[in-house]
Amino acid sequence: MHAEDSAAPPSHAGSPQATPRGASGRPRFWLTNEFGLIVLIAVFVTAFGLLTPGFLSPFNLFALGRTAAINVMIGLSMMVVIVTGGLNLAVGAIGVCAAMACGWLIQDAGLPWPLAILGGLAMGAALGFVNGWTVVRSGLHSFIITLASMSIFFGVMIFLSRGESYRELPSVFSSFGRLRFLDGTLSPLVLVAVAVAVLLVVLYRFTVAGREMLAAGAKPEAAALSGIRVDRVFIYCHMLSGLLAGSAALMLVARNGAALPSMAGQLGQDWLLPAFLGPVLGGTLLSGGRVSVVGTVLGALLVTLLTSGLLLLQVGEFWVQAFLGLLLLLAVLMDMARRSFLARRRMV
Amino acid sequence: MGPLSRYARTDWFGPLLVTVLAIVIVGAFNPSFLSPLNIQVLLLAISVNALIAFSQMIIIAVGQMNLSVGAIGGLAAISFAGMMQVWGLPAPVAAVLALLIGLGAGMVNGAFIAWTGISAFVITLASLSMFKGINLGITQAQPFYGIPDAVKAFGNTTFIDPLPWLVLPTALVAAGLWFLLNRQALGRFILAVGGNQHAAELSGISVGFTVVAAHAISGLLAALAGIMLVARLQIGQPTIGDDWLILSFAAPVIGGAVLSGGHVSVSATLLGVVIVAIITQALVLFNIDPFLVQVVLGVLILWAVGINRLRELRLRKAATAGA
Amino acid sequence: MSRHVRKAAVLAGLALLAGAGTAAADDTRVALVPGGPHPYFSAWEQAGKDAARDFKLAAADYKVPQKWELSTQNQLLESLVTQGYNAFLVFPGDPVGSVSTVAELADSGAPVIATAGCLKDPSEAQFCLGTDVGNSAYLGTKELLKAMAGKKRILHVTGFLVDPNTQLRIDAVEKAAKEDGAQVVQVIADIDAPEPAEEKINAYLAAHAADVDGIISTAWVPSVVAANALRRIGDKRIQMVAIDHDEVVLKAIKDGFLHGTMLQNPYGQAYIGSHVVDRLRNGCTIKADAPWKTNALTNHFVDSGTVFVAADKVDTYVSAMQDITKSLLASFDATYLNCNS
Repeated sequence: MHAEDSAAPPSHAGSPQATPRGASGRPRFWLTNEFGLIVLIAVFVTAFGLLTPGFLSPFNLFALGRTAAINVMIGLSMMVVIVTGGLNLAVGAIGVCAAMACGWLIQDAGLPWPLAILGGLAMGAALGFVNGWTVVRSGLHSFIITLASMSIFFGVMIFLSRGESYRELPSVFSSFGRLRFLDGTLSPLVLVAVAVAVLLVVLYRFTVAGREMLAAGAKPEAAALSGIRVDRVFIYCHMLSGLLAGSAALMLVARNGAALPSMAGQLGQDWLLPAFLGPVLGGTLLSGGRVSVVGTVLGALLVTLLTSGLLLLQVGEFWVQAFLGLLLLLAVLMDMARRSFLARRRMV
Repeated sequence: MGPLSRYARTDWFGPLLVTVLAIVIVGAFNPSFLSPLNIQVLLLAISVNALIAFSQMIIIAVGQMNLSVGAIGGLAAISFAGMMQVWGLPAPVAAVLALLIGLGAGMVNGAFIAWTGISAFVITLASLSMFKGINLGITQAQPFYGIPDAVKAFGNTTFIDPLPWLVLPTALVAAGLWFLLNRQALGRFILAVGGNQHAAELSGISVGFTVVAAHAISGLLAALAGIMLVARLQIGQPTIGDDWLILSFAAPVIGGAVLSGGHVSVSATLLGVVIVAIITQALVLFNIDPFLVQVVLGVLILWAVGINRLRELRLRKAATAGA
Repeated sequence: MSRHVRKAAVLAGLALLAGAGTAAADDTRVALVPGGPHPYFSAWEQAGKDAARDFKLAAADYKVPQKWELSTQNQLLESLVTQGYNAFLVFPGDPVGSVSTVAELADSGAPVIATAGCLKDPSEAQFCLGTDVGNSAYLGTKELLKAMAGKKRILHVTGFLVDPNTQLRIDAVEKAAKEDGAQVVQVIADIDAPEPAEEKINAYLAAHAADVDGIISTAWVPSVVAANALRRIGDKRIQMVAIDHDEVVLKAIKDGFLHGTMLQNPYGQAYIGSHVVDRLRNGCTIKADAPWKTNALTNHFVDSGTVFVAADKVDTYVSAMQDITKSLLASFDATYLNCNS
């Protein structure tokens, strides 16, 4: 991995280290990544609101919020592994397995749906544990381990389910997905995503476990020397990632009203792009040790509203993906430029 | 220290054993496995998959990863088909142009990586979306049907039974890559940068140039795979390349490639492709659930990286013991 | 004074004309949305244009999701509602997974017809207009068995497992085979795309060509690939019945490699569907007691027609389907709709 500022001390979890501080010692807000994202979001919302009829209509805001909530969860799921300096390519596969497990528990095992949901989440965490344990025990990079595990998890799930969906879920799922608050503009899925994001902020800023995760991700050797059980922490991170992936999948089940093996594409790889776009746009470093939950949420939101706006502009459904790739590239370039600009200023 | 252990330390010995074993076992259970028609079908699959594997292998050699192999292959494939159908270009011209597109795409990747220093993973993830997006934008997800008969014949007929024409480009590429990595300066630079980038820099190798060159070669090979696939499928399908990711890593890894760079083997990667092709076909032959193919691929990757790791550790131990 | 009166009269006259003009054209904007890119639906584009012209619709636009993925289709449908489309012909990305989305479309006041594929009841779709895929597969298998003349072993190649029609087809082929004492030795599914079809069909034929006497294909891409494969190995012993009207398939029928093909009616589905949603927006309602057909997914099914085409009818297949479309359209309003105007 490239040597970016991975040596940054993780003491201020969640706040970017490279920003210059004002007299009070707090980072100047307008130079942070998060502020940049807020500006971009405001700019695009205004632009789309003016250029397209209906962007700000209640229905569109509702649909946008719902899709953004799911993308945020997917992004958070990848983010908690990026913190360790690794990757989790299996987010989609784990998510689908969790959703199918929930479906099986309801339809074939006859469990009531709250228990089945817990079962699905437990499956996500268990698969995350398998990933984490394998990475830690083998010493291999999580890229190749999760590349293999995404195949294995997805393949076994398809084999066990014969590729068939669970379509007889209780209506509470689809009702939840279609619920509309606040004059028809807000989906409860948004509230779920926000709640999870808040919990993660608390985790990284205020709990020992979160700080240990950041320390272990930033400099594993130093962390180990200071008494942190690095192996165990990495496994927890992978389990958390699996849990969040499972949550995202269950939210998608609520949206669809059915547990479909194809919900994340072949091998779950359709989730890879949103999984990375959120954290990378949000300023979470791939080298680990630094995290921005708010940034990930804003990044996923930006991507979702760009997709929605482009579709409304009738840009052509088929050019949307090209735009998203360009956006990712621009985002990393801007981030790099910003950091080198700030680094130079620090040296002056 | 007999000759056997010397063989055992090479990359290709293990895969060769597995290949021979697989052929014998499958052939025993189903004799039509060894029929000329079946060999032809196998070789058609291997020819294309080998190029996909080589395309990733050259990037693994330099210590990086290229997620956009499939997207570049798909873009070159539809460009090849589209140029023949819409612009009426003759096949060789269209093929060369499509190869240049692949070369260019790879160079773009390499240039960004070398210039910005951002990890290859993120750059190729972004370029994967861009190339795939351009592909979709041009084709509107509709395939190009107007493939000339000569091209269709090249992709589906044999020149000496049972060797299909498609084997020829792959054989040439394999020989060329072996020559590059073992006898040419650029090949040595690539392996040096992959092995230890800092040391390579200190010994005067231009890391930036090497990275760009490696990515350019990778793009070229991916484009060639895409073009050959168009010939074989007989249409310019926009979804070409969508499922190349796992395959592109499985074969080099089975062939002993070290993911941190510096160590790859052309012959062993080729054997890795053969193993994957045999296993995939065997699953169809024995009516085993096709969904299990994914599981098998994943397990193969794990097993291969595990073995590579063990070998690495053992070599290190032997080195320190001997020193 | 008289000058002002004259101006007012002219303005009033213009207003009347303008009003009359807009009253003649409709404000129905139909969106025709398949499940993803696939050659079967390409007929929908032209059918939409023709329907807009013939029925004076404001628009009948063909909008394709980037890929065969439910989330992609959902996002597209949500966007289309926001863009002002008020009538939908949808091929469901999933028979149950799409029910929620269709309900939201219906909530916004748009009539929705499930086209070429059905939603599982209960749903907010007005009804399902499509090929009776079970019947089509059944008839196709019977034709194949006729051509096989007593031989018994059939290979069935079919489409995506996420396509709601696939299981219906598998069951129908099985039933038809069993009735004649034949056997489906293998079903290869999920190959409605060139690469997997090429790989699996060729691998199978290379190993087991001697073990089958007939091939029934119930999906577009495997039909093309299998026809090419039979042509490449020069085989005329294995009989085959395909589906749809790809050039490759038609040529193979003419050259004797295929026995025939089952045509579906994509053009008719889109054309008739556009007309019906327009009528529904203009005061008509669905008759509850119309002669609906039933299939495994829904009780409100209208058959858009299917025809078996062998070598003798290959050149005139287009008119065969057009005849079916015309007759269905002519009787549709009377049979299925209650119209007050």
